[in-house]
Amino acid sequence: MSLTSPDATSPDKVDDVVAARRAYNEGLAATKREDRSWGFAIGFVILMAALPLLQFNWNANYILHMALYTFMYIAMSSAWNIVGGYTGYISLGHNVFFGIGGYISGMLLAGAGISTLITAPLAGLIAAICGVFVGLITLRVRGPSFIISSIALLMIVRILFDNWDYIGGSNGLSVPVTSLSAQWAKIPYFYAMLVIAIVTVIASYKIKHSKFGLGLRALSQDEVKAESAGIDTVTYKVMAFAISAFFVGMCGAIWGEYLSYIRPNIFLIILVAANMVLMCIIGGKGTVTGPIVGSILIIFFNEAVVWQLGFSAINILGTGIVMLLTLMLFPLGIVGTLAKKGHLPRFLDWD
Amino acid sequence: MTNAIQVLILGITLGGVFALMASGLTLIFGVMRIVNLAHPIMIIWGAFVAYWLFKLYGVDPIISMPIAAAFMFVVGLVLYKVVYAKEAASAKYSEMTVLLTFAVALVLDGAASTAFSNTQRVTSPFYATDAFIFGPIFIPTAQLYAGIVSIILIGGLFIFLQFTRTGYAIRATTQNRTAAGLLGVNVAFISLLTFAMGSALAGASGALVSFVFSFYPAKHWEWIAVLMSLVVLGGMGKLHGTIIGAFVLSIIAAFVGTYAGATWSTITFFLALFVILLVRPQGLFGDPIEGS
Repeated sequence: MSLTSPDATSPDKVDDVVAARRAYNEGLAATKREDRSWGFAIGFVILMAALPLLQFNWNANYILHMALYTFMYIAMSSAWNIVGGYTGYISLGHNVFFGIGGYISGMLLAGAGISTLITAPLAGLIAAICGVFVGLITLRVRGPSFIISSIALLMIVRILFDNWDYIGGSNGLSVPVTSLSAQWAKIPYFYAMLVIAIVTVIASYKIKHSKFGLGLRALSQDEVKAESAGIDTVTYKVMAFAISAFFVGMCGAIWGEYLSYIRPNIFLIILVAANMVLMCIIGGKGTVTGPIVGSILIIFFNEAVVWQLGFSAINILGTGIVMLLTLMLFPLGIVGTLAKKGHLPRFLDWD
Repeated sequence: MTNAIQVLILGITLGGVFALMASGLTLIFGVMRIVNLAHPIMIIWGAFVAYWLFKLYGVDPIISMPIAAAFMFVVGLVLYKVVYAKEAASAKYSEMTVLLTFAVALVLDGAASTAFSNTQRVTSPFYATDAFIFGPIFIPTAQLYAGIVSIILIGGLFIFLQFTRTGYAIRATTQNRTAAGLLGVNVAFISLLTFAMGSALAGASGALVSFVFSFYPAKHWEWIAVLMSLVVLGGMGKLHGTIIGAFVLSIIAAFVGTYAGATWSTITFFLALFVILLVRPQGLFGDPIEGS
């Protein structure tokens, strides 16, 4: 077709092309949406939601605690996955938002007596706002410089919180303990974490299968090309960072009240961030179910190590060795490797 | 005024130590584009070598420096061969290697804390608490010795890079890996050697650190950010930039520490890192970063 053809520039033709392109993009983002094993997912959630029933027959506080802890890490590693997996920005200081969330809700609980179950979304929101500001600074650089700045951020926040007397300094905050009996004390936090985990995983799934997620994945491949393809890379990655911070902040809020004390050396240690990264990587970076598989595996592994050896420094060593072996032997993670070989069970296939 | 001169001198002597600590890091980044997050824990392992040699056999840390360096040289050699060498062809090279170094850092940290526990330690040779006094000004002997030894070592490193054939090859590989390979440089060997040398520098600086600062395994997370701020300020992979960065930030930190309190002295490095990333992400002497 010659360039002088009158049809080529007529408005309805352009609209047609734009509409076709849009339909194609949406099709691309929404591929494979039919054959999901919703039954399995819903069954799993119902099973988890029914766990507290054990409490009627015997004392299952340990099981509930481990389940709650797992939900928290499912939420946090899925949230990390939005930045680290989809967008390709490895943040090693992501527990900054965990700390911010914990402290905001903790201060409200200690000062005004409002339960974190109510203030958690607010804590998440403030963490997200912090995420926007931090993201606008640190997301300007990518690759190694970003990773370093994320560690530096963690160090800055740790020093600030350690020395800020208003929020308790390095002794941290003590928050009032719940008035429920020991038998039922864990239940509200259990459901809160379960809900946060479900919402985070759904958000992660929705993002992965949206135009937004497609944009994130594009900019993780090549930021300059993504920019020239019309993706507003700055807004996209800052948004991803803020969404991620929101969920991590909510987890921090609930976890703070659950523990009943909030200290920098619990919330702002690099091991928390390392766990998020490790769980996501071992499960499969950039996959929806990877962080879930990774969280369950790592928490199980950690618990077995602590149960056998009961020593926390070994825990760091074990975390390191598992991470090293995963990265060297199957860098795509469990879900990623299985998917590549075509052996991924349908209940894990949500990508 | 005397006070300011005093702080300046302390900053300069510490700057020498920081420069040595960061030189291995920047060398490794320059040649291999690996951000070695395990570098600070290697420094701490070097410090432990010096500490135990002093504790068990009474060897002065400055004397045991070559032993610490040789020990870390071997560790670096093994690590590079086992962990990093095969990543060279990976598409997500820089991301993968950072994660790998992070995992190595966790392993070395866990091993050190398991073996030696996380108590604060410091090597105390006879000169540790001495000071040279010139009228109103004093210089702690330990810092002065450490600073002088660091500057000698860095000088040696410069001479090595500037005037030996291996040094040419390392600089050529830093400038352009592919081109260096085409011109007959054995890039794989140079990478191995540089990584081991960088690790040896970590070990050597560790021996100095053992009597200048108190140390414990978990401290290396803080040092990652401290050392990285020096490297980023100077421009990633630029050795002279790193050294200037080390002196500049160390002097600033010394002033901040004196006039605003010791807590804020460490935070100077981290805030500096943020300001640099905000204002000039490529650092003082760095090449412009792609996509910024």
